[in-house]
Formats: sequence, C-alpha cells, structure tokens
Amino acid sequence: MNPAWLLLVSMLASETPSARFVTCPVYRDTDSGRKSGCWLADDPADGARYDVSAAPTKPDWNHAVLVEGKVDSAAGNPCGGIVLDAVRVSVLEDACTRHMLPAEGYKGRRFALPERNVRPLYEDRERPAKPYAAGRFTIPFDFGSSFITYQIADYYLDATINYALDVAPARIVIAGHAQTAPANVSGQRLVESGTLADERADVVRRALIMRGVPADSIVMAKPAASPLVAAAFDGITTAEPRRVDVTITPR
Amino acid sequence: MIRHLVLATATAAFAAAVAVAQTAAPDRWWKPGEGRIFPAQLDYPDGNGTLRLLLDGGAIATKDHPFFTAIGPNGRACVTCHQPADAMSLSAESAARQWERVGAKDPLFAAGDGSNCPSLPQGERASHSLLIDHGLIRIARPWPPKGVTPDFTIAVVRDPSTCNLDPKFGLASATPMVSVFRRPRPVANFKYIEAMGFAYDPKSGMPLPVDSATGKPVSGNLMADARVPSLEAQMRDAASAHLGFLKNLDAGDIQRILAFERSVYVAQQADRVGGALDADGALGGPRTLEMSAPGRLGSQGTPVWSEFEAWEKMPAAARAKLPPAVRAFRDSVARGARVFRDKTFLISDSAGINSPIGFGNPVRNSCVFCHNMTYMGMDVAPGQVDLGTTNRPFADPLPHLPLFRITCTGKPHPHYGRTILTSDPGYALTTGRCADVGRITLQSLRGMSARAPYFSNGSARDLRGVIDFYDRRYSIGYTEQEKADLVNLMRAL
Repeated sequence: MNPAWLLLVSMLASETPSARFVTCPVYRDTDSGRKSGCWLADDPADGARYDVSAAPTKPDWNHAVLVEGKVDSAAGNPCGGIVLDAVRVSVLEDACTRHMLPAEGYKGRRFALPERNVRPLYEDRERPAKPYAAGRFTIPFDFGSSFITYQIADYYLDATINYALDVAPARIVIAGHAQTAPANVSGQRLVESGTLADERADVVRRALIMRGVPADSIVMAKPAASPLVAAAFDGITTAEPRRVDVTITPR
Repeated sequence: MIRHLVLATATAAFAAAVAVAQTAAPDRWWKPGEGRIFPAQLDYPDGNGTLRLLLDGGAIATKDHPFFTAIGPNGRACVTCHQPADAMSLSAESAARQWERVGAKDPLFAAGDGSNCPSLPQGERASHSLLIDHGLIRIARPWPPKGVTPDFTIAVVRDPSTCNLDPKFGLASATPMVSVFRRPRPVANFKYIEAMGFAYDPKSGMPLPVDSATGKPVSGNLMADARVPSLEAQMRDAASAHLGFLKNLDAGDIQRILAFERSVYVAQQADRVGGALDADGALGGPRTLEMSAPGRLGSQGTPVWSEFEAWEKMPAAARAKLPPAVRAFRDSVARGARVFRDKTFLISDSAGINSPIGFGNPVRNSCVFCHNMTYMGMDVAPGQVDLGTTNRPFADPLPHLPLFRITCTGKPHPHYGRTILTSDPGYALTTGRCADVGRITLQSLRGMSARAPYFSNGSARDLRGVIDFYDRRYSIGYTEQEKADLVNLMRAL
C-alpha cells in the first residue's frame, strides 16, 4: 500500500499519529532567506518522507538522525514531506552520505524566531511575585547527548537559573535521567548509559553555579523520585527519559 | 597661590603639548618611552583614507604610562604591537618598515616572539620573516594544555619556522610547546569586546565563562584561543610572553593600562574617495562607537552596518550635488551593508556554527549570522568558530606556516574525522578538545583599513582576500559588484 495512504489511514484512526525512526537526513535548499532550509527524513520502515525542519536541533547531513515527532496535518507541504511538529531530532554518530535537493517548487518556510528563546541581558526580565512557590523545571536533551541545545534546552535552563537566582532558594535538587531502557528503532538498539544521566545533571549543576547560584544550595538526587514538566517535550513521550529535573524550594 | 601657579603652569604645559601633538606630524611609529601626549582625537592616514582614534575622557600623557613604557628587559611596551596608526593592532606594512628602518635592534623583533624562533640567528631578516612579511607574532602554547587531558595528539608535519622541531622550544623539548603564529588583535573598542549580550555561550551550551580571579562572568570574546578570560589576565599573559617581564604587573599598572584600553575607540573616519564617513547623516567613524550601547544584537535592534542607511535615504536633489565618485562610493558601501546582512549562503562543516549548537549542517544564513553585534560585527553570543582559515582542506596553502597533524583519540571531529591537518589548532590548544581544532574567536571589524593582513593567521593579504576566502570556502557565488561593495563596506568600517 502507498505510504501516504497508510499515513492517511493512520491519521483517520488517531488524531496525532507519531513517527520514530533512524535515517539519513536530506537537505532541501529552498533559499527562502536565513535559516530557511528544509530538512527531510525518510522512514526506512515504509519510505514515507517526513519534514523534520521544526526540530530545535536540526540534522547534520553527514550523520544519521533519530527522528521522534507527531504529524501536523494542518501544516501543508512547504518542503516535500509530511510535516512533523512537534518533532525532535538527535544527531547520531553513524555516517551518512550527504545529499541536497533543490527547491523543486517547494517554498520552504521563512524563519521566525522560536517562542523558546533566551532573551538578552539588556532586556528587563519579569521577576516572580512573593510569596515564592516551589519551582519545578525540566531540561530536555537529545539522544546520547548532554549538550544544552540552543533554543530549547537553553530556554528551560535559563528559566531554571533565573528562578533560582530570583527566589534565593534554600534548596535545589537536581536529578538527571537517561534512556537506559533499550528501544528498537529502525532495527537499531538505542540505549543510553546510566552515566549520561549523571553527566546531564552535572552540566545543569555547573551551569547554575556559573550563573551565581551557591554550590552549597544544590543537592544531586537519584532520578527515580523526580517528576517531569511535560511542556518541555511537546507530547513526544519517547523523549521524556532524556532530561534533568530541577526542584527549587524557596526559603 | 604658589600651588595654583604651579598647577596653572602644568596645565598650560600639558595643553601646549596636546596642541603640538595635534598639529605636528610625529612619526607614525610609537616607540616605547617616547613620552608623547595621546590626544583626545588622533588621526592617521591609511591606504583607504583616514583612521581616527578617540580617547574617551580626553588626552593623556604617556610618559611613564605602563602601556607606553618598556617594562621588561626586551625593550617592548604594549604599544609596540598595538600601534595607534594601525588601529591599535600591528600591520605587516609597519613591521616591514621598522625592519627597514631599525632592523633587528627594534624591540618589535625581540627573539621571544618577534622572530620565527628564538634559536635562529636574530640579526637575519629570514629569522623574522613571519613578522615582517605577514605581521605574525609567535604564540607558544604549552602542550598539553595546563589542567587538561587532551583527546587528541599533535605531530609536526612541516615547520618552516623551525620552532616546533627546535630542541629547546619545540614539541619534544623539556617544556613542550606548540608555536603558532597569529596577528595581534586591536586594543580598542573594548566596551564592545567585553560586552555580555546574553548570559550564555550557545557554542559551548553553557553560561558565559567565569573569570576565576573575580568569580564574575566575562564576554568570551577575548583572545584568538580564549586562553585567558579577562583583560587583566591578558595583561599578565602578555607581560610575560611578549614583554619579557618576569614579575607580575602591580595593581596600579594594571589599572592604568585598563583605563587606557577601555577608553580607546578606533574606526575609519574618512575615505579617500567617499569623504567623511559620518557625513549627511551617516554614523561611520569612532564617535558612534564611543556614544552607543554595546553588545546589542543587530537582528533585534539596530541592524548591523545600518550606519550608512542615511546615504540611501538622501533626497535626490542633495545626492545630485555630490561628486559622482563620492556618490558611487556611498552607494557601494550601502549596498555592501545589505549584501553583508541579506545575501545568504550555505554554511557547512564549520564547528561552532554547524556543530554542536543545533543550527544544522548546512544552515543558510548571511555574514551577519555570526558578525551580529551592532556597530562592531563581533558575535554577541560569543565563542569560537572554525572558518577553515587554518584547517585543511579549506585553508589556503600557507607554505610559510607550520603544519600539524591532529589525531583525535576519543570521538572523531564532527566534520573532519579522526585526522586533521592544521596550521593552528586555535581554541583546541586551550581546551584540549579535538572538536575545537581550528576554532578561533571572532574579531572586531573596525579600523580594518589600517591593519592588514586579516584573519588570525594573516592569510588574507587585503580586504578582497577576505571576501575571496569566504566566497571559496562557502561557494557563495558573489558577483564582482558584490565583492567590490563588500570591500568598500569593510574599508569604511
């Protein structure tokens, strides 16, 4: 059966069909201004071509990617693929042959500043009102990575740090998580080591300290007890195990 | 009464000296210890017009000032390599002129870093060829970097400087060093270089670096390889590495140098064809730098190089009164600013851009993607980028420079694989990370007409060379008109 037809059937059966696969990405140069390129990814299971351009982390055309996303059936077809939005892309180490397509009539998208962006220091920032509530924050990570990704992880990290600085907390509890339960995706066994959870937690701890949060107010915790803030994942539940949770208890 | 008389006499003498400094035409070259007055405004002709320096706060006497006085045994002062006429950097032309005039006795050619290697015969021109011909200073970095276990090995493939294979100064010496050769960065416009626009360095994924001496964050835009975090630390580093000063600078010296460095603004003021760069509503020249707020992102405020927009908006009647050559130059500069901001191209395989931030590889953008700071063209979100100026296959041949083979022992480099040929590992000599090989801190784009050659390794002999490198590196496909416009823009900065 035609993959597009399969997708349509899937969409009728479920409001938000999802995709999760590993593949080599393809870049389509639509030349619609800065950051306008399209990123496409073919699911090896059925050959369906997805548009993953909305991912905070964009692909690297020399490397395989893990794609996780939900179909946005209202997004049209600006790039030549089924639009995934929300979507997460993780760049893997496996090598790929780079490939670029011309626009071929697709217009792509004009760049728009994502809502999740860190604001400059010279802008006034809204401070929390007293009495301060306990704060819960979640910082998401790409698969296999402890890097704070631009315009997603840094946004949540910045919110965490700002709150910690604003409420001068008595206690900050950090819990790192990793995807330690293996998953079979596109015939590949994807699993993260437990030490990556610690690395992620340490990255967040160091960032807090670098911004001026007292080190002695920070406690590192085991991951089991920490609740996540789901907004960081836009409903992509398979990405949730890759995170750091921070709980801030004001004085 | 006597006190007032003495004060009045001293003030009059200082004013007279300022007047002399402004009217006479002293040598372009500032020798250490001359005791000149540094006036509030200082102009120098350069190949494209006139460079202007402004001293915020007014003139200063340089006699016994630690920036202008040789404080170490090699006779050098800070000013030796940060010449006012060279936009507070050092042009290769000035270095060559000093060799012709003074030869090896000029402290500029001190053995430690003003020669290709201290062990070479210092009286011979060939021993200083990298400084004389390319404006390059030897930077000796300890190997491995202090406090770091590198994830790569480094081997010398070739070394025309001889220093990396030298038994006393080389990689196999008792104190292993990697000698790389770099251009002195301009000591000016520091309000912008030290500005912190954002709290994070997205290229590292972490908050701005913290100066361990103060516990405070710093901009991350200092030094080609970010080996020191602050101007104070740079001073101490330079005092021992470049001035041969064996003791620490004292606190008073540091404060005087800092006060001077933070008060100097430099930019091209007039063009030999186009005239004053702040005429008819334009905002070229250093006064705008002195008056404006630093660290602003052009895409969210005043667009980068919009200083010249007024020339595009001139009434036709006023434009018609301009000499044709002036009009053509202004049009070209304004077009160049738009090309700089708006002409997009595919940026690929450049660490610091295409990895590890998440922009994607490739990403379509323009010059202003990285050169995004209003009025300065530095990167507000600071950090280091690998343009390929030092790394094969993108770098020019550069047969005069050493060539190193980097072998990544952990993860391969995100774009080059396990083995990299480079003439300068850049930031990796500080971090010890293979992924940082060839990454260099972005530079200021002001006062460029006075300080050729360009790029950290001087690989672009002139402004056209800069444009041609980018055009080749990223297959941009600039037209000849666009290249000319970009050159005119840069010469007007």
